[in-house]
Amino acid sequence: MNIICLVKFVPDVDNFMYDYDRNVLVRENVKMILNPDDAAALAFALKVKDRHPSTFIEVVSMAPKSIIGQLEDLLRRNVDKATLISDKNYVGSDTYITSKILAKYLKAKSFDCILTGTHALDGDTSHVPAQLGELLSLAQLSNVIKIDESKFDGTQAVVDVDREKVISSYRVGLPAILSVQKESKYKLPHIKFKNLNLNVSANMTIVSNSDLNFDVNEVGIEGSLTKVSRTYPKKMEKKEHIVVNNDDEGIEVVYQFLKSKGYV
Amino acid sequence: MKKSLIYLDQENIQNSIDLLAVIDLMYGKGNSTTYAVCLNHLGEEVTGLVDYIINIKDERIENHDLVNLTNCLDELQKTYAFDSILIPATQTGRMLAPRLSMRLHVGLVADVTAIEHQNGNLEMVRPAFSGKIMAGIVNKGRLPIMMSVRQNVFNYNSDESKNTEKIEFLPTNIQPSTIQLLDSKEKERSLDIRDSEILISGGGGVQDNFHCLDMLAQQLDAQVSASRRIVDSGLASRRIQVGQSGKTVSPRLYIALGIYGSLQHIEGLNNVENIISVNIDKDAPICSLSDIVVVGDAVEFIERLVKKIKNNRKIETGENL
Ligand SMILES: Cc1cc2nc3c(=O)[nH]c(=O)nc-3n(C[C@H](O)[C@H](O)[C@H](O)COP(=O)(O)OP(=O)(O)OC[C@H]3O[C@@H](n4cnc5c(N)ncnc54)[C@H](O)[C@@H]3O)c2cc1C
Ligand SMILES: Nc1ncnc2c1ncn2[C@@H]1O[C@H](COP(=O)(O)O)[C@@H](O)[C@H]1O
Repeated sequence: MNIICLVKFVPDVDNFMYDYDRNVLVRENVKMILNPDDAAALAFALKVKDRHPSTFIEVVSMAPKSIIGQLEDLLRRNVDKATLISDKNYVGSDTYITSKILAKYLKAKSFDCILTGTHALDGDTSHVPAQLGELLSLAQLSNVIKIDESKFDGTQAVVDVDREKVISSYRVGLPAILSVQKESKYKLPHIKFKNLNLNVSANMTIVSNSDLNFDVNEVGIEGSLTKVSRTYPKKMEKKEHIVVNNDDEGIEVVYQFLKSKGYV
Repeated sequence: MKKSLIYLDQENIQNSIDLLAVIDLMYGKGNSTTYAVCLNHLGEEVTGLVDYIINIKDERIENHDLVNLTNCLDELQKTYAFDSILIPATQTGRMLAPRLSMRLHVGLVADVTAIEHQNGNLEMVRPAFSGKIMAGIVNKGRLPIMMSVRQNVFNYNSDESKNTEKIEFLPTNIQPSTIQLLDSKEKERSLDIRDSEILISGGGGVQDNFHCLDMLAQQLDAQVSASRRIVDSGLASRRIQVGQSGKTVSPRLYIALGIYGSLQHIEGLNNVENIISVNIDKDAPICSLSDIVVVGDAVEFIERLVKKIKNNRKIETGENL
């Protein structure tokens, strides 16, 4: 079975700094991490490969060349092939264009299933998987928390989807795009010690616009249909407030407040 | 006169209705003819609120069938040429909106939380980078303008009553679906923190005693929620996470126990009437948003307040102490 996993490396948003004077995000020294939902999706694919060693897994990422090292670490975890789609013309692409670029590459491939994350930590749009579904004429489901391994056979998948109030199971005909959530608890294994420095460069392919042949005006900032016009720090509404101690008197103040508002 | 379409997601009709507030913000009140579309559902909830209700009537199309739903909305766009299409950012909405925008070859703005007008441009505002910043996004010209709208942010109130016309839409382009619903089961605890009037919320400061929050929640008939710190450390499910990468909540009362109040967290608090925070650091950002700040240990606070509530209840009911 051929599985393609779409992966995105995102800034570790917890360790982001905002420069309020210059009004920009401080991107220097920000660590890039594999988007957690994507890691869960890839972890599932690796489980399938453990069970059926003939499974072929390709990871595909559109990103700057600086993430090659991180893709190599995925190859060291038993991924068969990594494809990096990278071209300076693609920088600044909105989700519409990112999906068009990914779709052009994917259209030429044969696969049984595409696995993605449900949402990415940075933009958090969740657009790409569904847009790819449209471009590749495939069904797509987000918020997948379980894929039944025993029934995952290249013709169908039985998946559990977290629908907030309920968990629904669906049977999906393959090929399809299944977008996993990190709540699925599939965990990416560590790199085996003996593979830590494995030379994997033979399994890495870099795809640029000379392969995909987009008119440069159709991609990147120019081709995008949405544009970030400005960013600003989130402002908070400050309130007049009472400060009390954590003692009988303070508790009394809290209690009277709760009572006056009808909470107790 | 503009023409706008809202998608009524049966799983969250109220949030779908609130999209009408966004249309008013975009074009000014009364400057758009409004259409609401729903799938195999009469949409009675919006009678009087919109000009037209379009009921897609075809039992072959199920809610999870985004391909055929997209086919229908594409057909409707061809018929009516809407200037804007708004979709609630429910789970279905977040799969539907990108598929439809690709079909219509238009840009899409995700999870909109505000509308601004800048130099004559319509700007759709959304939180980015986990709510650390807000981004204003503009659409580069093509119509319809499409966005998904964050739930629980806008509120639509109107006292006027429109003469709503009903349209039955029979789709012509239906293909066999490759997705089949097998079954749905209730989650063990299906309580949604967004439905709770009172939230008892814990952060890093109660990491070692997160379970204690239940005691206070029980007394106030509240639900427990958490900051990302607690969720990331595996003490609670993301379902109860408040914040940019969690849920936006609008309880009347939010009790923040040992929560620092990072921007990402505060992003998840919308229209919260009252906040009480308990923190050893009275200068933590959450404190400036609070009605009352209790300086001290959060677990001790829980114990004291629970005792106080129980005692007073006994006094009120005339029981012996
Ligand atoms: C705050 C914010 C909110 C946004 N909201 C929306 C939205 O609602 N709807 C929407 O459609 N878009 C949205 N976007 C995307 C936006 O329109 C553009 O994508 C964005 O301006 C590009 O900046 P970036 O830093 O996010 O991405 P970039 O780093 O420019 O990347 C854009 C895409 O290209 C890839 N990429 C980056 N560098 C390279 C390279 N050298 N080679 C190949 N690929 C590369 C990235 O992996 C990504 O997929 C948003 C972006 C931001 C920053
Ligand atoms: N540049 C990209 N390269 C590869 N996959 C991507 C890219 N952008 C998004 N994806 C996939 O789409 C999912 C949702 O991302 P997003 O639409 O950015 O929220 C991610 O979890 C990835 O699986």
